[in-house]
Amino acid sequence: MRSIEVPEVDYTEYTNRQLVLVPLAVLALALAIIGGWYLVTGAPANLGLEFTGGVEIRLADDGDGDMNERIDAAFEQEPDSIRAIPGDDVVVVTFRADADDPDGMASDLEDQAEAGGFTIDAVDQVSPSFAADTAQTALFGVAIAFLGMSVLVFALFRTFVPSIAVVASAFSDIVIPIAAMNLLGIEMTLGTVAALLMIIGYSVDSDILLNNSVLRRTGDFYESVSRAMRTGVTMTVTSMSAMIVMAIIATLFGIDLLRDIGIILAIGLCADLMNTYLMNVTLLRWYKFEGVSR
Amino acid sequence: MLGPIKRNWRVLLLVVVIVAASVALFAPQFAPDTAPGEDAEDAGQGLTNLQYGLDLAGGTRIRAPLMGYTATGVEFGGDNPSEVAANVAEQLEGVSAREVNAEEQDEQGGEVEVTDPDVTQDEFRAAMDASGYTYNDIRRGVTAETRDAAEGVIRGKINEAGLSGGSVQQVQSITGEWFMLVEVPGEDRQDVIDLLEERGTVQIDIGYPDADAENGTGVEEEVLIQDDFENIGTASRDENDQPYVPVSVINEAPEGEDSPAHRFQDAVVEREVASDTGGARCDFDLDEGELNEGSDACLLLVVDGEVVNAFGMDDGLAESMVSGSWAESGNFRLTTTSFEDAQQVSINLRAGALPAELDIAGEGTSAFISPTQGENFRFYSMLTGLFAIFAVAGMVFLRYREPKVALPMIVTALAEVYALLGFAALVGYPIELAVIAGFIAVVGTGVDDLVIIADEVMSEGDVKSRKVFDSRFRRAFWVIGAAAATTIIAMSPLMVLSLGDLSGFAIFTILGVLIGVLITRPAYGDILRRLLTVR
Repeated sequence: MRSIEVPEVDYTEYTNRQLVLVPLAVLALALAIIGGWYLVTGAPANLGLEFTGGVEIRLADDGDGDMNERIDAAFEQEPDSIRAIPGDDVVVVTFRADADDPDGMASDLEDQAEAGGFTIDAVDQVSPSFAADTAQTALFGVAIAFLGMSVLVFALFRTFVPSIAVVASAFSDIVIPIAAMNLLGIEMTLGTVAALLMIIGYSVDSDILLNNSVLRRTGDFYESVSRAMRTGVTMTVTSMSAMIVMAIIATLFGIDLLRDIGIILAIGLCADLMNTYLMNVTLLRWYKFEGVSR
Repeated sequence: MLGPIKRNWRVLLLVVVIVAASVALFAPQFAPDTAPGEDAEDAGQGLTNLQYGLDLAGGTRIRAPLMGYTATGVEFGGDNPSEVAANVAEQLEGVSAREVNAEEQDEQGGEVEVTDPDVTQDEFRAAMDASGYTYNDIRRGVTAETRDAAEGVIRGKINEAGLSGGSVQQVQSITGEWFMLVEVPGEDRQDVIDLLEERGTVQIDIGYPDADAENGTGVEEEVLIQDDFENIGTASRDENDQPYVPVSVINEAPEGEDSPAHRFQDAVVEREVASDTGGARCDFDLDEGELNEGSDACLLLVVDGEVVNAFGMDDGLAESMVSGSWAESGNFRLTTTSFEDAQQVSINLRAGALPAELDIAGEGTSAFISPTQGENFRFYSMLTGLFAIFAVAGMVFLRYREPKVALPMIVTALAEVYALLGFAALVGYPIELAVIAGFIAVVGTGVDDLVIIADEVMSEGDVKSRKVFDSRFRRAFWVIGAAAATTIIAMSPLMVLSLGDLSGFAIFTILGVLIGVLITRPAYGDILRRLLTVR
């Protein structure tokens, strides 16, 4: 039987400059998008309910008339978004928190929904001040995780260039999905924060594998790289397929948490393929052939 | 005899873990504890001993801070705490002394808090300054003692209301603010809020005709307060179908003091609720809060500052009040206008009043998931997990086309999830969506590591001897260990920070990585060795 083989790349055909250009350009673009987003909207990403405050209500769709019209008629306040879940007859309606009067909003909306003849499946209320607190906590968590990872990587390899290669590629792996979220209109939620932290864990795997293969084992540089690549690409593609399947099915059934984690990890792992086998390899090659002898 | 065991101990360890997980999952001894009044079948949800969290079982979760302000580092200057509290309360207009508490922490002094929600930070600061006590700072929130007391009261309220399986805990946010986290499975959001939003103070006032008062009604407040009641019965109906709560008023007091029952008896006689001619005929306008023209004095049942019922007294009881014999038993009926009110009063009296108000609408978060939605989520998320595992299995088969390598890989990854499920059942950790996401993440990292092992072991030609295998396996393990360490480091902030459900995600991802590195991945190595080594 023939097995699917990871394609081999002939790195000798390209210069370091050529190889590193693509990931750096993508990273720069991603940073520009996030920066631009910050300037225009005041936040680096589209913040979800958990980070802005507001109310999310899930209403059962009993097939009795047009849901959008009924929802518009039932609620006094204009809904922020209305989203139908295909696999489960449910409509998710979100309302932004009213900064002036957050009191009792969920209760009012609940009453209005019941008066409109809806069956409420779930209500989720987050107050604006609590949301701001959560955003701060999440940012802190990601920063600490990244710092911890960096320290550990430096402790493992104890040489500057290979370590910074891992850290730089992990940084890019986090930044690119955030920019992609902005472009795709995906909101930043607790699920995506978890996914970003998970990317730190996943992406470092293939980087460590590559560094280990090149630095700690004897043999030709290109041979080591292609060996690590065979394993690493298999790993990443396997995880990616799991995440894509999870994202699709969770979208179908309206399980937002799993959907968010799936999408972000899939994008992050994609970015990781590029960063590891273009940026990281190049940095290692420079280190191996030029950096060491200096 | 010992040889094979020694050679295969890694596989045997995995088998032991799997058996232990099965016992934890299915043996009735590990079934979830039943709450009072709940039978075993309700406590266990489904075939296994697994317990499901709110988003997979339905229910309400509320997280809110207790309202109030606390002055820290207050020097009491030799005064005792109740003197300090009284002096500060004096500076706050319209605030009852019971809304100000002082907690002594050391000889210098301690903390002073105000729990009246109407008092602003500036007003409290001004009152502290005016009272003359020096203090360090004023912060939002209440003292640790009050939080502990509130936790107990909330727990009591949930139990008294018959909501089984509810839980209360205190959580701290990154900014240092404390929140009460209340979870009640299977209950509507509004019902839980109704139970917790009001503090549940119960007191008896006496309303009496007073010509000097603006609306003709004078009120003597706090004739009886919450702490004066004991032996609180459940809500009942009397022979006229009138709902009431049977209580008794404490009739013992230290030497030289009047007991609450004696004080009440005296007040009732003084305000002429009970007189020589018999009991008062009460005619009270609940909406206006005043006595109607020509009414006798009334006993007012006040819950959370609102008069919920007014009643007079029957002649028999009035007679014993006047003669002074009533205080010997102290038995009393709090009558209400509806049975629901009677139930509410009973719960409030038994659980006690919240020492401070929960700010649910303003700064809290609340979530409700209907039981059917929860059940759907349970099914859908399992389906999602299954498909994700199929995707992984499919990729692994496509890549290796070698059942000898791929099949044990998938079985090992599933064993990891199974062991995690067993662990969850053993410690009674509720399965939530976030935990299922953690399981999927574990399958992902698990298979990654198994791919590393397989590739490493099979590189550079056939594995001819055990020695070659072992050296390659060890090399692979360095990478796996390093990768596991980074995942654990990356996930650990989530485990401790209070970010909603995500601590479950982090806990199970980390646990999965640990089980993987310590148990399942070495076992996979052994299995692979047996299958690949040319003997």
